[in-house]
Amino acid sequence: MKVDVSIQPGNSIRALYLFFIISSIQIGVGIIGAPRFIFTEAHRDSWISILIAFAYICILLLAMFWILNQYESADYFGIQVDIFGQWLGKLLGTILIVHLGVSFFSILLTYIQVIQLFLYHTFPNLALSILIMILVLYTIFGGLRVVVGVTFILFLSTIWLLFVLYDPMTRMNWYNLLPMFETSFPDLLRGARATAYTLSGFEILMIIYPFIQNKNKAKLPTFLGVTFSTFIVLLVMIITIGYFSAEALEHIDWSLLILFKTASFTFIERLDYIVVVMWLMVILPNLVLLLWAMVYGLRRLYKLPEKISLWLITALILILVNFFEYGYEVFQVTDIVAKYGFWITYVYPFLLIPIILVKNKWKKRQGSGSG
Amino acid sequence: MWRKKTETKIKENKKETDIFPIKLDKLEKILKREFNNDPDLKFNQYTVGDKRVAVFFIDYQIDSDQVQKGLLTPLVHFDRKQLKLSIKNLQNNLPLSTGSTIDKLEMILSKLIIGEVFIYIEGDNETLSYLFPIKESRSLEKAETESLVLGPKISFTESLAKNMNIVRWRIKSPDLIFEEFKIGTLSPKDVRLVYMKNLANDDDIQTMRQRLQELDVDEVEDAIVLKQYLEDSQTNLFPQFDITERPDRFTYGVTKGKVGILVENSPSGFIAPATMFSFLESTEDLYMRWQAGTFLRILRFLAMFFSILVTPTYVAALTYQYAIIPTQILISIGQSRAAVPFPPLFEAILLELILELLREAGARLPTKVGQTMGIVGGVVIGTAAVEAGLTSNILIIVVAMSALASFTTPSYLFGTTIRLIRFPLIILAGLFGLLGIVFGLALIIIHAVRLTSLGRPYLTPIYPLQIKDFNKILFRTPFNHTSKRAKSYRPKSIRRYSKEDANKTRDID
Repeated sequence: MKVDVSIQPGNSIRALYLFFIISSIQIGVGIIGAPRFIFTEAHRDSWISILIAFAYICILLLAMFWILNQYESADYFGIQVDIFGQWLGKLLGTILIVHLGVSFFSILLTYIQVIQLFLYHTFPNLALSILIMILVLYTIFGGLRVVVGVTFILFLSTIWLLFVLYDPMTRMNWYNLLPMFETSFPDLLRGARATAYTLSGFEILMIIYPFIQNKNKAKLPTFLGVTFSTFIVLLVMIITIGYFSAEALEHIDWSLLILFKTASFTFIERLDYIVVVMWLMVILPNLVLLLWAMVYGLRRLYKLPEKISLWLITALILILVNFFEYGYEVFQVTDIVAKYGFWITYVYPFLLIPIILVKNKWKKRQGSGSG
Repeated sequence: MWRKKTETKIKENKKETDIFPIKLDKLEKILKREFNNDPDLKFNQYTVGDKRVAVFFIDYQIDSDQVQKGLLTPLVHFDRKQLKLSIKNLQNNLPLSTGSTIDKLEMILSKLIIGEVFIYIEGDNETLSYLFPIKESRSLEKAETESLVLGPKISFTESLAKNMNIVRWRIKSPDLIFEEFKIGTLSPKDVRLVYMKNLANDDDIQTMRQRLQELDVDEVEDAIVLKQYLEDSQTNLFPQFDITERPDRFTYGVTKGKVGILVENSPSGFIAPATMFSFLESTEDLYMRWQAGTFLRILRFLAMFFSILVTPTYVAALTYQYAIIPTQILISIGQSRAAVPFPPLFEAILLELILELLREAGARLPTKVGQTMGIVGGVVIGTAAVEAGLTSNILIIVVAMSALASFTTPSYLFGTTIRLIRFPLIILAGLFGLLGIVFGLALIIIHAVRLTSLGRPYLTPIYPLQIKDFNKILFRTPFNHTSKRAKSYRPKSIRRYSKEDANKTRDID
């Protein structure tokens, strides 16, 4: 397996789209339920937790870019094989693909649950999954150009949902945020860790990077993307704290959707219905990017044709969704992703740095020794 | 589709070709046999000096006055000039442009059809032919399917020569190229690839040229049919090249660096590559002031969405999510629907179908009866349907609004696509409510992102994003902001005029 990936010029994308890729993949189902988890840990100082998480992600992204810049145009799969050798590298790559797969699955399940809760209580999991998978497959069969295009256009067509938040914002109580800085630092860190599931997904950078046309300009859009999605999470967090009482917030599962529920206009009522269905367009980029990364990774690692792996994964998903009937089961999946995903997304890249450093030094010594 | 032409087909047509020299009677016999004793094939024999000469042609394909004056009279009186009768002397002395000499029978046959007149001197090895075609065509008329309030009124006709003449007069530049192609094995049609030499993208020209060359069909009926043969995707819903009957729209595309196609016997040309937005663009936007142009263009864009979404939303809201409708409206909808026994899905499809029937009937009927159709549809069926309890008042308004909005699309083909998309969306809305609509919309978005036109993305300048092209494609701005051509179409030169000069402002007084 080659470490560096060579991309045909027709298949590459401009660095600009990293902004939309990163912020789209971060904003998904996580944000609907995140306020509760963060709030139970960090209480009314939750917004500080989000800022801490943001700072941590920025450092992490710097580390990722550092790793990527050690190579010409490599991705996670290539780098792992380069560092750990064929066998272990491929194993780690497989773990990464499984991680992406479980994330995909948890997003799908959570959305199905939301639909069942808000719209159709008896809508079978399978039917909804088939509908969503039709969209996902149709996109991925178009190649990366279509995947990025769909991400981009769906981002543009759902961004207006933010403005609906204006309505609950006018009715929130700013005093709920006071007194500030009361939460202890360990609790803040725990709160920051509770954002892990919501803000994860940016690890796609390590997979999509070889496809970027102008790699020297990749940093700015990436950081802006992370900033934008953090800003949205922060905004939602502050509004939820101000809108709900502390006791209520600890028990509200889908606080963001409840916020939308209160907004109404003279020509339309119950905006939450529209938000819930529009959320399909919000999670679609997530699903599409994750599944694309999975099939692409399988081709990189095992030379498995993308069309075959796509159908295999789809079949697997359509079988598995039937086993999750109740809310708590879905939460368990999300918990697993949050727990293990944390190590893969947030900690693992830092472990690579010393190994690469040592390896570079060893290579240099060997090179000078022989020469 | 684009298979290479096979050599065998040409060989099949090869018959006894080298028949010259030949006796006149025998030649006549051969020609009559080839044309199945067609009485319109005239074969005249003359004796000029000491030689026998035949002049033959197809009667209705030639201009007989011209033949009389320019060819027959000088030929019959040729012996007065004291010259020997030969092809060379004829060529030099007939008051016509130099004719061509032909010695193959199959060539003679194919040229007879297009209105050439042949002269054969008995005993010679070849024939001399002159072109005297007469081609019936209607005169130039006003554009019918794409009518505008402002701007030029002329439209293309079925005559390729006239169309080329119009285009050439609109773009008076030596850069304008008409490349000739013959399409069709059964009945070859003249096709012209039109582009600006130093403007149009070479890849676009080459792609189009290649598709034209590799197209192997027996016959293309019209430009619109040729367009479908050449398009990128047959399965896709959206039209991929922009067809028009307006020369101004055609030349507008060509001068922006696109590639145009004109086809013989077709009153329309088409422009490639096209984007989704070029179908919503009308040249009238240019003739208006920019504020009005922008307003109209955005209005059309919104109308497209409105037309697609409004009936499905009605169905979804009334079937499942009625809570999104404000209470007062819900009450009046409830009252008007109280008499209707059908579910909203059935009701909506019924009414939409009636509307489509009216539209189709109106398009097929002669104009005078067509007007009555509108009255019958609007007044009689509409009111009666409500009173009979088949549909609700509100739905009539909804369907009428959606139809009205779909009429605003400048391109008839694109309008038809919008008409078509509504039905699956209505069914999805009936099955899954609002979720079905969002599903359908997402599917349309993916469908459009996947599409290319002549290999170029269909949704540019939105994706791939070209913010600087927004004011040329999505809306209009004052002319000093449009000093460059749209980059999305990748023209060879992007500069239209000097931006500095356009921005130069005079001081007061």
